[in-house]
Amino acid sequence: MHVNYWNELKKDNMGRKGLYMMGVLAVVAVGAAWLAPHDPFAYVAEPLSSPSWSHLLGTNEVGQDVFSELLYGARTTLMVGTLSALFATLISLCIGLIAGIFRGWAERLILRLVDVMLVIPIFLVVLLVAAYVQPGEITLIALFSLLFWPPGARIIWAQVLTLRGQGHIAAARHFGAGNSYVAARHLVPELYPLLAVNFVQMVRRAVFMEAGMAFLGIFDPTQKSWGLMLHYAREFMFTEAWLWWLLPPALAISFTIIAFALVGYALESALDPRLRRPTYAGD
Amino acid sequence: MRRRIGDYALALLIILILNFIIPRLMPGDPLTAMYGGALVEMTPQMESYLLERYGLDKPLGEQFVVYFSNLIQGDLGYSYYFRAPVSQVLLGALPWTLLLVVTSLLVSGVLGIIWGVESAWRRGLRFDRVSLVLVMLLNGIPGFVLGILFLLLLGFFLPLFPISGGASPHMDYTGLARLADISRHLFLPALTLTLGQLPRNFLLMRSALINVKEKPYVFTARSKGLKDRLVRYRHAARGALSPVITRLGMSVGLLFTGVLFVEIVFAYPGLGHLFYVAIQYHDYPTIHGCLLLITVCVLFFNFLADWGSQKIDPRLREKDARQLLERT
Repeated sequence: MHVNYWNELKKDNMGRKGLYMMGVLAVVAVGAAWLAPHDPFAYVAEPLSSPSWSHLLGTNEVGQDVFSELLYGARTTLMVGTLSALFATLISLCIGLIAGIFRGWAERLILRLVDVMLVIPIFLVVLLVAAYVQPGEITLIALFSLLFWPPGARIIWAQVLTLRGQGHIAAARHFGAGNSYVAARHLVPELYPLLAVNFVQMVRRAVFMEAGMAFLGIFDPTQKSWGLMLHYAREFMFTEAWLWWLLPPALAISFTIIAFALVGYALESALDPRLRRPTYAGD
Repeated sequence: MRRRIGDYALALLIILILNFIIPRLMPGDPLTAMYGGALVEMTPQMESYLLERYGLDKPLGEQFVVYFSNLIQGDLGYSYYFRAPVSQVLLGALPWTLLLVVTSLLVSGVLGIIWGVESAWRRGLRFDRVSLVLVMLLNGIPGFVLGILFLLLLGFFLPLFPISGGASPHMDYTGLARLADISRHLFLPALTLTLGQLPRNFLLMRSALINVKEKPYVFTARSKGLKDRLVRYRHAARGALSPVITRLGMSVGLLFTGVLFVEIVFAYPGLGHLFYVAIQYHDYPTIHGCLLLITVCVLFFNFLADWGSQKIDPRLREKDARQLLERT
């Protein structure tokens, strides 16, 4: 089962496109400070001015440059997306390993918890918390990490069960390898592709949710975010401004989601066409 | 099945506890956290009345008992913004949301299944490839973005449909005219929600049909000389349908969160819009009521799907039993 996933991904047409798109996003996010013509927080021009050479997408209702806001928005989105996905995947890994290695009551408890959490509509829980605490990046990352792990944990647990029956692991056990050695040396490396798929899918979910929250206006207003831009632009949507103020962040959100979806899809089909994720309530 | 009922009961309990504990965890006065402070000037009488009513000066355990018994009796508090009991406000909004959700569920289900069957039948051909790309693109557009675009294009630039509300105000239509009015208002929100669900249903049906396409019974049906359409729908699709129906039912959870956004974009008078208004005015009793009611709806529909699919498909029951055996 030793497939070179990186090559598989690059060979796949959709996967390659997705990678390019992710590359563009990464460049924009990292280089926002150099690429942006203005400070997105500064009041640089007349509010609600139309596009011009110095303000490519015009200015918003308080006179900030929309184009610069757009570039900085990539930072927030990618930060929330990748960090929540990373932490959620790590939690999935730990919990899946514990359930798969120790079995017994720990396994039963964990599986039950996963079953229960899968039927809870996550978005509503986030909204409930957010109704009290105006969440910023950090709050959202914490919330998403704590709520996103169950589907991944279930998949990792199942994979650990199959792996632990295999010959080389049994051999390692007979040579006296302990739980942590087997986990670190044999289980985790074999789980990498699964973890990668999980990570990409969780990024997509987090981006979707972050945009949704900010669109509702439930996001720290001192940070730049595409969802938040939409939230403010919506009040002016019936003017000409929709074209340069509303459409660009909307396209940016779709671009990001599609990029990660393409890579996820390619990874998944390279991995195992029959791999199915459990359904979860309320994305 | 008893296990699943337990799961749902537990999930409901967790939600209730969260709903109960979060306002009380906030720093400061729980009364402000529950009633928003900004909405009304609290007179001392009112304050002591509310304190007593919710037992806010008692230990947490007793407070939870009070909270729970109020809930059972349908008492969700009083909304100072809408000047009515929260339960009444919610009941006014619920039918609109259900109308939207059920319409989209049915339409997206039927369309998704047909599209999926046709695409899987032509697997690898142009129709299938174009469908997959379309679905990928559609999947990447959040519901609120799609909604805004429809609103602008079909409601504003090309004013075919009303841009907000669930029915025309002050018109007092009756009978067919009212039905037509409501459908006209329903069209764009339902379209948005349907398109949001369609990719998922399409992909589910497509992969389910690909799995059964090569099965011997389909081959038999074909070699009997049956018409292609009969083989496709009466034989192949029927055999592949049950897992799709299950997943469709489970996706109601997604629909209920999707509906929040769609209602907000179109100012459709359901629970989502209510929630949005309540958030803006810090009307906490209404916020809580909305979230609780939506959660209960989601859990209820998911449970129905779980239960229904086991009734339809005995294989699922066996699998459940086998899993239980493996576990013990």
